[in-house]
Amino acid sequence: MILIHIALRNLLTHKVKSAIVGGLLVFAAFLIIVGLSLISSIDSSMSKSIVNSVAAHIQLQQKGAKDELSIFGQMGSNEIGYIHNFPEIRKALEALPEVAAVVPQGIDSSIVFGGNVLDVKLEALRNAVKAGDKIQTDVVRRHVRRMVALLDDELKNLKGFTDQEKMSDDMKSGLVDVTQANQPAFWDSFDQDPYSHLEFLENKIAKMAIGEDMLMLRYVGTDTERFRQVFDRFEMVDGTPIPPGQRGFLFNKFTYEEQVKHKTARRLDKIRDRLAEGAKVATDEEIKQWIKLNRTQYKEITFQLDDVATDAVKAALQAELASQETDLAKLVDAFMDVNDANFAKRYALFYKVIAPKIRLYGIRVGDTMTINGFSQSGYATTVNVKMFGTFRFHGLDRSTMAGAFNILDLMTYRDLLGYMTADKKAEIAKLQAESGVKELKRDSAEDELFGKGGGEVVEDTSDATPAQAAAATPTDAPAAATPTVVAAGNGGTGAKAFAKSLESHVYSQAEIDGGVIRNIAIMLKPGVDVKDGMIAVNRLIDENKFELKALDWRAASGLVGNFIGVIYAVLAFSIFIIFLVSLVIINNSLVMSTLERTREIGTMRAIGAQRTEILWMFVVEAFVMAIVFGAIGCAFGYGLVAYFGHFGLLAGNDFMVFLSGGPRFYPALPPWGLPVAMLAVMIVTLISTLYPAWLAMRITPLAAMQDSE
Amino acid sequence: MATTPSSQPIVHLSNVDKDYKLGAVTVTALRQVSLEIAPGEFTVIAGPSGSGKTTLLNLIGCVDVATRGQVIVAGQDTGKLAEGDLTRLRLNALGFIFQSFNLVGVLDAFQNVEFPLLLQKKMNAAQRKERVMDLLNRVGIAEYAHHRPGELSGGQRQRVAIARALVTLPRIVLADEPTANLDSVTGNQILDLMQELNREGTTFLFSTHDPKVVSRAGRVVRLVDGRIVAEETAEQYQTRQA
Ligand SMILES: Nc1ncnc2c1ncn2[C@@H]1O[C@H](COP(=O)(O)OP(=O)(O)O)[C@@H](O)[C@H]1O
Ligand SMILES: [Mg+2]
Repeated sequence: MILIHIALRNLLTHKVKSAIVGGLLVFAAFLIIVGLSLISSIDSSMSKSIVNSVAAHIQLQQKGAKDELSIFGQMGSNEIGYIHNFPEIRKALEALPEVAAVVPQGIDSSIVFGGNVLDVKLEALRNAVKAGDKIQTDVVRRHVRRMVALLDDELKNLKGFTDQEKMSDDMKSGLVDVTQANQPAFWDSFDQDPYSHLEFLENKIAKMAIGEDMLMLRYVGTDTERFRQVFDRFEMVDGTPIPPGQRGFLFNKFTYEEQVKHKTARRLDKIRDRLAEGAKVATDEEIKQWIKLNRTQYKEITFQLDDVATDAVKAALQAELASQETDLAKLVDAFMDVNDANFAKRYALFYKVIAPKIRLYGIRVGDTMTINGFSQSGYATTVNVKMFGTFRFHGLDRSTMAGAFNILDLMTYRDLLGYMTADKKAEIAKLQAESGVKELKRDSAEDELFGKGGGEVVEDTSDATPAQAAAATPTDAPAAATPTVVAAGNGGTGAKAFAKSLESHVYSQAEIDGGVIRNIAIMLKPGVDVKDGMIAVNRLIDENKFELKALDWRAASGLVGNFIGVIYAVLAFSIFIIFLVSLVIINNSLVMSTLERTREIGTMRAIGAQRTEILWMFVVEAFVMAIVFGAIGCAFGYGLVAYFGHFGLLAGNDFMVFLSGGPRFYPALPPWGLPVAMLAVMIVTLISTLYPAWLAMRITPLAAMQDSE
Repeated sequence: MATTPSSQPIVHLSNVDKDYKLGAVTVTALRQVSLEIAPGEFTVIAGPSGSGKTTLLNLIGCVDVATRGQVIVAGQDTGKLAEGDLTRLRLNALGFIFQSFNLVGVLDAFQNVEFPLLLQKKMNAAQRKERVMDLLNRVGIAEYAHHRPGELSGGQRQRVAIARALVTLPRIVLADEPTANLDSVTGNQILDLMQELNREGTTFLFSTHDPKVVSRAGRVVRLVDGRIVAEETAEQYQTRQA
């Protein structure tokens, strides 16, 4: 059509106008394409990160709870409510055609002490004594003695700083005990009665030991077996999954490395990673700081070495440093003073010679760890649980956010949660009144159990199933009702045996499902839209009158889920601004060109073109501009997106890793991206054409007649 | 076509006045103008600058309307037509030649000539091509069909404009000082062409202030201060000039 032809020719003829308008439209289209690709890719990769690690597609929480569920939100216990009738809910949900799986959950954080080296050494000493191994006993005993001496020194130091008056009685007697254990007489008599010496060291000295790391661990209490099967990002790194039905804890590899690993070793790892990224020791402030810490904290290593190990490490370091120095502390200090040239060699040497002789991880696979919870009603709970191994969420290894989630079995979770119904509370109170609280105060185990809160460490068994009752048999559990009582951490041998029996106890599915939980994760079947899933779940909640509230993963994940909304808003806003500016500029330049074309348009009118035909000419011209420049912009944008879609964009930090669902981010243009970009460009162009077109329509044929000399 | 003499004039003006309002002042550009143009005529409107030639042609060309009196073009009373109908009348019954050619700069000669046919939407591409090429041949610039106006001389451009005016086979072609922007040699060639086309049957009404051009006309309408002061033949005009 001639109008298209005129439009095209006009574009080519009015070069400046075309350059301005074209540049703006190209930029706008480019921005939309790139922006949409980023957003939709972040959205889908982040959704994978969130959905397939912990949150699943839909989360349920108690209706009317004070706080909304915020899985990736802030730490600490928030009041998200309780769910009691999980078996019933699960049955109903699993009947829905949209639902693939239902996983009970509860998210909480507790304190764990990351391995007491003295404790470990004492256990080694006890084993050596028991085995009658004279030499080994001697070596370990000397090490323990040195540790006790060090401990005594540290504590005396501490005493100098603190006000005696304010010290607790426990502390005071502890100090006396340590001083006593540091006397030569104590060690001279060791061989005569090793077991009572060991007992004294284990019960009185170990608890005074320094060097215990306090870890704040965040965990999902869940049906561990089902969790493992449903969340496909889950994969084991070390150890084994928690056997179905058993109690147990799995460390997230990220947390494990970050918090449980030996500090010096961890810092060396970090230096290695940073150097691998291209940093230089001389210029990187953080690396310098790590090196400084490694040098000043030499005790982290020396404290852990017994005589035999000390000699071996000395020899290796002397060889490496070509030094005659015999003081291990000085050797370690010098060894840790690494630079770009020697780092790789020393790193390797550290892992070959030193690492095997120290406790590389405070808690190791197979260890029983003590979790110190803080129940909702404010009293302390303590549970021993076996650490089966470490896992990671595939692709999210480096993400702090996903990496913070450890996994705990539901039974232990409930023990820590210490939740109970009002009925149960009353019952316990009555029991206590009858038996007399004081009598129970035999040792620290009971102290923890029936401490400040008044013995509220009881699981909700109001709806106990037959299976639960069956589990509570004397053979399975020496203590009264198996799943209902909590073992204490630093307790005596009785408590330890009790904990052991809990460790191997296998709970039935009914027991696992039967107790209280905090939230429910629902995984939808592949291809089911989350919106449809929400509709189905909400209908089910209504029909069954469940006291539940459903949240999609976005809402349930807390701030992170909203993050995508923020990016959307930022993008939308910048596009809006670009469009506003484009609108004004395009409009201006079209008005100018319309004025320039007054005679031409007047001539067309005189020759017989109707007003509407002039309007059409402008509309066509606008469309041609939009299509030509929009297409160029889209092509540029698509090119960029395709480039990074192919080669990936390195996720710069932990948060980016989480957003991209992996170490690299691969943006992709959603199928609706092109039409949306083109449509937006067309609308802007059309709007900016309105006023000039109106002006053009008002040009009369007389404009053709007036002679410009 | 206009070759057959018809009792019905193409243009009929009776007692036409045209006022221009410039704020409070009213300029009367035409007074009591009555005029008839019959098919086949080759009429010139002669008069000095400011005498109202353009105004008169604009009324006949349906691009403006009379303040008083009646203007009938191709049987239609232009005072009673709506804007769209006037436009249609211009498209179908009239042809325009402008002093400054007024070609569409971004279109080549062929496309400029074809433009009115496209607006008419009556012909297919082949018919259009035949008609356009026929006209380009008749005005003698077929070889420049695919040149744009910028690449053509003034005379060539006016030839394209003439072809464009004739392409719809209008009842009358209106030309306001068609030679004013051309040198005298080229102007004469254009007048030769117009005369030749007139002999082939096209009715022309054009204006000029140039006495040499007036002498080429078959009929001269003399305009002074918006009034027709004399109607004469070219011969009468010439003898009077002499
Ligand atoms: N648009 C207009 N507004 C006001 N006065 C006009 C306009 N067009 C023409 N005139 C006046 O009308 C008179 C006739 O002008 P015009 O028809 O252009 O004369 P010519 O074409 O013979 O030079 C002149 O006095 C001119 O100033
Ligand atoms: Mg004039």
